[in-house]
Amino acid sequence: MSGGPAVRVSIESLCEKQVQEVSLDGMETYVPPLSLSQNLAKMAQRIDFNQSDESEVEEGTSLESEWKQEQPQVEAEEDCQEEGMLHFQPSLWPWDSVRTALRSALTEMCVLHDVLSIVKEKKYMALDPVSQDNTATKTPQVLQLVSKKRALATAASVLLKGAERLSKSVCENQENRRQRDFNSELLRLRSQWKLRKVGDKILGDLSYRSAGSLFPHLGTFEVIKNTDIDLDKKIPEDYCPLTVQIPSDLQGSAYIKVSIQKQAPDIGDLGTVNLFRNSTVLISNIHPRYPIPFIHFCSAQNVLLCKEILAQLSREAVQIKSQIPHIVVKNQIISQPFPGLQLSISLCHSTGEKAQRCSPDRPDDHLYVLEHNLHQLIREFHKQTLSSVMMPHPASAPFMHKRLRLAGPLAYNKNQINSLQQNEGLLEKIIKQAKHIFLRRRTARTIDSLASRIEDPQIQAHWSNINDVYESSVKVLITSQGYEQICKSIQLQLNIGVEQIRVVHRDGRVVTLSHQEQELQDFLLSQMSQHQVHAVQQLAKVMGWHVLSFSNHVGLGPIENIGNASAITVASANGEYAISVRSGPESGCKVLVQCPRSLNKDQKCDVMQDARWAQLRGPYREVQWSRMEGRNFIYKMELLMAALTP
Amino acid sequence: MEAPPVTVMPVTGGAINMMEYLLQGSVLDQALESLLHRLRGLCDNMEPETFADHEMVHLLKGQQGQPFLLRARHSLSSPTDPWHLRYLGQPEVGDKSRHALVRNCVDVATSQSLPDFLNEMGFRMDHEFVAKGHIFRKGSMKVVVSKLWRVLVPGNTENTEPLSLSYLVELSVLAPAGQDNVSEDMRSFAEQLKPLVHLEKIDPKKHT
Repeated sequence: MSGGPAVRVSIESLCEKQVQEVSLDGMETYVPPLSLSQNLAKMAQRIDFNQSDESEVEEGTSLESEWKQEQPQVEAEEDCQEEGMLHFQPSLWPWDSVRTALRSALTEMCVLHDVLSIVKEKKYMALDPVSQDNTATKTPQVLQLVSKKRALATAASVLLKGAERLSKSVCENQENRRQRDFNSELLRLRSQWKLRKVGDKILGDLSYRSAGSLFPHLGTFEVIKNTDIDLDKKIPEDYCPLTVQIPSDLQGSAYIKVSIQKQAPDIGDLGTVNLFRNSTVLISNIHPRYPIPFIHFCSAQNVLLCKEILAQLSREAVQIKSQIPHIVVKNQIISQPFPGLQLSISLCHSTGEKAQRCSPDRPDDHLYVLEHNLHQLIREFHKQTLSSVMMPHPASAPFMHKRLRLAGPLAYNKNQINSLQQNEGLLEKIIKQAKHIFLRRRTARTIDSLASRIEDPQIQAHWSNINDVYESSVKVLITSQGYEQICKSIQLQLNIGVEQIRVVHRDGRVVTLSHQEQELQDFLLSQMSQHQVHAVQQLAKVMGWHVLSFSNHVGLGPIENIGNASAITVASANGEYAISVRSGPESGCKVLVQCPRSLNKDQKCDVMQDARWAQLRGPYREVQWSRMEGRNFIYKMELLMAALTP
Repeated sequence: MEAPPVTVMPVTGGAINMMEYLLQGSVLDQALESLLHRLRGLCDNMEPETFADHEMVHLLKGQQGQPFLLRARHSLSSPTDPWHLRYLGQPEVGDKSRHALVRNCVDVATSQSLPDFLNEMGFRMDHEFVAKGHIFRKGSMKVVVSKLWRVLVPGNTENTEPLSLSYLVELSVLAPAGQDNVSEDMRSFAEQLKPLVHLEKIDPKKHT
């Protein structure tokens, strides 16, 4: 600032007024400026009572001074402006809003003052803190977004970790289950079958060696883990984690067939007679719950046993000397138990994959009992090998039968040693059993055919329930219908053996019959004819008639082809009549009656004067027996006797 | 029921030279139960057989250095059974790869007068012992698990004391000479007993 004379500066405000109009002569008409009160009113309208305190305070202080000055002016103009308010509603008096705001503020302040005074007394109202509502807080939105994102990311990571662990454990479980299935199946298999580990293979033993068999077949099977399973796909129902490989010659199923037939006419037919063609149902009999390997094992073991049986039988058939040599053809052994008869034992082995129903054999064809007996006999032999009789005492001695060990110290000779060792082999036993079965069947057939053919007298057979493999017995009764209590003298006990039938009569006689069918039939027929005569004897006792003569085997009259004829003569109680019966197996019954002479009127004789000779019995007259009334012989006889008794 | 004559039965005596194939091992008393269980499972299915035997070893000192040895054994549990006389030859020196000890063996069953007979012949009893234990069999293989008892008073088999706290396990087969598959079978059987007992070829000459 340089010193110099002060210059007077005059300041003048611009008179900036709005131009209302411009007249034609260029004269401007200005809008009159607002007066102070108008200016204040305009300012007051701009007061926002809802603004925050800070801004209010600032504006309030600036406007406060103006407001205080113009307050009296405001009240003065209030009345003149009220009329303007009524006519022009929208342009309210500019101080009205201010007034209402102040009034409401006053009301609120009074209420607050009242509330505070009441609360201070603590009698009717109490103050409690209000929980802070964080969401009401106005945080910046970006911060909220970031925090939410971070929270979600942590939650997601936790869930993902858990899910990953879960999926890993599921995979492990499935793998474990497959492993465990294999191991548990292997354990189950091992609990029933012998398994051993050779190198890295698991082998098992199907044979009967540990049960005492000496058959050289090893019977080993192999257990393989089934790894071709897709875990993602559904596991099939019959899935088994292990598969077994059975030796090829033991696959399929087999059985031994024993049958008796009429002898084949040509020796060339022997190999083809009655050989098995269809496969049989062996698998369906096994309980469905057993797994597939078990079924295969059972049938493979059965095949092995059948092979052993046949090998043993073939060996014996070749080595043992018998009168009629046995024929061994492929899988069949044929022998002749009786002339005209043929016993065939064959191994029927089918390796078909599917189990088909075979057509049922004729029931006479299969001798199931013998097949079962073969199995039992070979098992007996197995057990014999393992019995404690073979164990050495002292322990250093070799394995040998107990009795054979005594052969040295007791100095047995060859015969004694042979008698120790000599016994029947499997084949001989089976042939004997077959013979017995056949003989028994034929005896039964003979008796039944006789029973159905002949009605008088009746023949009854009571078979004993308890039999032996080599012996059966039957009790045969010959009776007349209606007279069983009286005529029971013919009772025969038949003991059917292997080759003979022994008959024991009630009266103690023992007759030995051979295996011929005709012998038995003839014998029974002769017994039946004898029965008629015996029956007459018993009847005579009952009726009071006397037996004059009785003979089981009469030497008179025509010779019978079968057996002998028997005869009886009975006389009535008063002696007037006599009946004579001759009964033969072939000739049948002949009945003759003797009547007193007095009845015979036409034979008058002058020689005999005495009347008593007329009381003697006269000649015999034959009775036409077929015309007699009565259903059987003894009934007719009774009627005859009754008719002749006065 | 006797065994039928046409099956494979072990042939003993006569002109056939029988060899004994032998593997031996031992187990402690504590391990006996588990060994018996295992043998019961591996061997043929029979009732377990126990035995009690009394063995006397007789020597005949000849002019040569080596005395002639005969073993006379009888059962204490079944006294009526015949006595058993055994001669065991020298172990065959064959190839070392054979897994079992092979020696010539002659077994004879005799009556009760065996000790007297041997005494009359000039044999003198060298030692005696009592063996008690179990016998198992698998086919033609015999497994004998026995405990040896020392006889304190000669001739008195009641007064005995155990020789050791273990059991002797012997696996033996009697077979004609020249069958080498026998030793293979014995070796595979011994493999199955491996962790419980180690059966091996023990040369008696090395232990005298």
